[in-house]
Amino acid sequence: MAGRHKHRETGTSVVIYADNYINDIEGEKLEEMCDAFLEKGFKKIVIDFSGTDLVNSIGVSILIGIIEKIKGKGAVVFSGLKDVNFQIFHIVGLTRHIRVYNNEEDALKEGACADGASL
Amino acid sequence: MSGVDLSLERLLFNLNTLAELGEEITSPKDFTRVVKSSLYMVMGTFSASKGIVFQYDQSDGLFTQIASKGLLDVRGAGLKISKDAATAIIRNNKPIDLKSADPVIAHLGPGREFLERLGARVLAFLIVKDELLGLIAMSDKFSGEDYTLYDYQLLSVMAQHISFSLHSHTLLMRLMYRYNENKGLYENLRRIYYDTIHAFAAAIDAKDAYTKGHSHRVSSYSAAVAREMGWTADDIEGIRISGLLHDIGKIAVDKSIINKASPLTSNECKELNSHPVIGYEILSRIKFPWKGIPMMTRNHHEKVDGSGYPDRLKKNDIPLGARIMALVDAFDAMTTDRPYRPRLSFKEAIDEVKDHYNRQFDPEVVRPFISVIRKEVLAEVENPTIVPLMHEHLDPVTLSRILDGFPR
Ligand SMILES: [Fe+2]
Repeated sequence: MAGRHKHRETGTSVVIYADNYINDIEGEKLEEMCDAFLEKGFKKIVIDFSGTDLVNSIGVSILIGIIEKIKGKGAVVFSGLKDVNFQIFHIVGLTRHIRVYNNEEDALKEGACADGASL
Repeated sequence: MSGVDLSLERLLFNLNTLAELGEEITSPKDFTRVVKSSLYMVMGTFSASKGIVFQYDQSDGLFTQIASKGLLDVRGAGLKISKDAATAIIRNNKPIDLKSADPVIAHLGPGREFLERLGARVLAFLIVKDELLGLIAMSDKFSGEDYTLYDYQLLSVMAQHISFSLHSHTLLMRLMYRYNENKGLYENLRRIYYDTIHAFAAAIDAKDAYTKGHSHRVSSYSAAVAREMGWTADDIEGIRISGLLHDIGKIAVDKSIINKASPLTSNECKELNSHPVIGYEILSRIKFPWKGIPMMTRNHHEKVDGSGYPDRLKKNDIPLGARIMALVDAFDAMTTDRPYRPRLSFKEAIDEVKDHYNRQFDPEVVRPFISVIRKEVLAEVENPTIVPLMHEHLDPVTLSRILDGFPR
């Protein structure tokens, strides 16, 4: 898979690590990446922010792009948000549209139950 | 600005975006990339899912798309306005709601429908010096909320930043790069920055009746002293910003402690005294175009004899800007009413400064401070900043009596 975003596939889910790439317009590659995973039949995409210091406005706009693009095609959830990032997501309204989990394990567990797949 | 979310996170997020936008548009990156990043920043700030930037060509009245996100490629599709429309837009010079009854909308003619088809809701025109350069159109918010008055203000600030970038680009394209003109624009850009911070500082001050206007006074007093000490215009601007934000850490301190009339318990004292460090932590996360703002904030309660907080620094280890702020901060606290005591007279405050000379306050800072006051009283400066804010009339005779015996 092209793109600089690290990821990990597990069952029908995939975890993508946003790191700090999300804060640059290059981070938009994430959008194509999510699209490609859904095409391949993955059901759930977990975007993990444990390696992201502070999401900026570019990051927010890329994430909104992803959510809009994926609407109806699969599920996107977030995990590993630092406090400040959670607050930012709250301010811009992202937390009202996306489920947020403490860490990727929790996100994957829930995900597996929700779409009935086994790990 | 009622109903506006002025939380710390909002402040951080917006200031950061402004700083990054400022950095982005003055970076040597290629133009398309700069415009694209700027558009994403604007969209992310307001959580809009669709957005587009057009460049305007004066000669034929046509808008051409130069960046977009979240919508169909509309290259080729046209937005064209008349000369009169352009004049009306320039005269109006503020963002507009496409769904409002703003008279400017009528000037767009069929362009309005075109923009609505794209999903546009808010338009921010890019204007520099009475010249229309382009347009940013943005959809409704992704969250479904309405744009607030504050959003419009912030959008206007961001649009001015981006206009500046478009303008320098246009100038380059015309091979008419005029250094001085651009320098003026760059100063304007800093001004915009400053105004934004000003609005936040006012909001912070307003939370607490007693510190009302405190940050503004500390800001202008510090700048006056720095100017007297021969600082560069840039560094003066830096301390001015620092003064506005020096107590920002107080927003994390319980309001009842700030307003308490009785002596504070040791725990309350600890909490109140944490504000310079909290302020430092907040401000060091923001990329300011000026030097030293986080450290000036951190050390504005240090004393030259090393008995201050939080780092117990001694004289030369304290940043000079922090030493200036320590003096004018204390001076303003003394000369305004506090929950635990009424204000001191000018004479009493100066006596306090004398008493703590070279212990709490740095003589190198006290001297220029006194000299500014003297010049202001003698009407030797054009725009006095300190004396007009005193609650009493100071004439040269009274002043020299008050300053009598002051170490020179
Ligand atoms: Fe303070």
